[in-house]
Amino acid sequence: MSLNKNMRIMIVDDYNTMLRILRNLLRQLDFLNVEDATNGEDALSKLRREPFDLIISDWNMAPMTGLDLLRSVRGEEKLRRIPFIMVTAESKTENVITAKQAGVSNYIVKPFNAETLRAKIGSVFGGH
Amino acid sequence: MSTSDNQTPALHIDNAQGYLDRIIRELHALGNEKKQPLVTVLEYLSQHIRLTREEIGALKPGGENFLSSTADELEEIVAETGRAANEIMGAAESVEAVAVGTDPKTREALQMAATRIYEASAFQDITGQRITKVVRALQHIESRIEALTRACGDALAKSGHAEVPRSDDALLNGPQLSKNAATQSEIDSLFDSMDMPA
Repeated sequence: MSLNKNMRIMIVDDYNTMLRILRNLLRQLDFLNVEDATNGEDALSKLRREPFDLIISDWNMAPMTGLDLLRSVRGEEKLRRIPFIMVTAESKTENVITAKQAGVSNYIVKPFNAETLRAKIGSVFGGH
Repeated sequence: MSTSDNQTPALHIDNAQGYLDRIIRELHALGNEKKQPLVTVLEYLSQHIRLTREEIGALKPGGENFLSSTADELEEIVAETGRAANEIMGAAESVEAVAVGTDPKTREALQMAATRIYEASAFQDITGQRITKVVRALQHIESRIEALTRACGDALAKSGHAEVPRSDDALLNGPQLSKNAATQSEIDSLFDSMDMPA
């Protein structure tokens, strides 16, 4: 199954460096339709205004964490089907369990590489 | 003077020592030989309080703002490494732009190099989170020292108990030490083992 390279992706992280890394790695994977947000609130506001096909979010942010963003997204009919990949340094077992229970689509531990990012996006959309 | 939750005035260490010294002076003036064991005990307590005050005072090396200025230094490291990481990525983006006009083999090699630079630039995010954890620990220690220098008795005892994070806050631990951190494959195994709808 080939991925739609025109899909609209929302990337969320409070570190501008990480947003830039994600944007560059996605561009190298030919995903050019990328928007960003620096926290969960900012992301949620943009998600409610415009359609997106994928959310890639950090966990540890303020004022709204990535986990809270995930729960909000899964709680809104209009947004709940958007695949959500958590990209975070939080790698404890309870973190993965909590995220999974909240409906995360996949989970990437920082630091990560381009191949992991590509593989997880592919996995979320049913390809490999 | 600060007060505890039930509005009982907190007892200050210097006050306590003052009361003890006053009792010792008045006992000396009584002239009763039976008082001597009690005076000895009180003098011992007074000396103990004096030493405790000196030890608490020594917890602040380098002046009042030692810990907060150290935290500021660490936050500056985060900002500096952020600027450096962005400069490095800017250079990598320039390399990629140049690579577009080169032959396929050169282009691929330059793009792979740029990818490695982007991946490596994640150090700033990871180190930034680690330093933020240290800054929070310093701020906590500083607040505890402030409590110690201001109070004693019940207030002193309470100051030794750190607040335990609750609910989702307990999940915000930041990057794990290398020896404790789960690998991506371990995360994948755990993730795939949970039979829950995504």
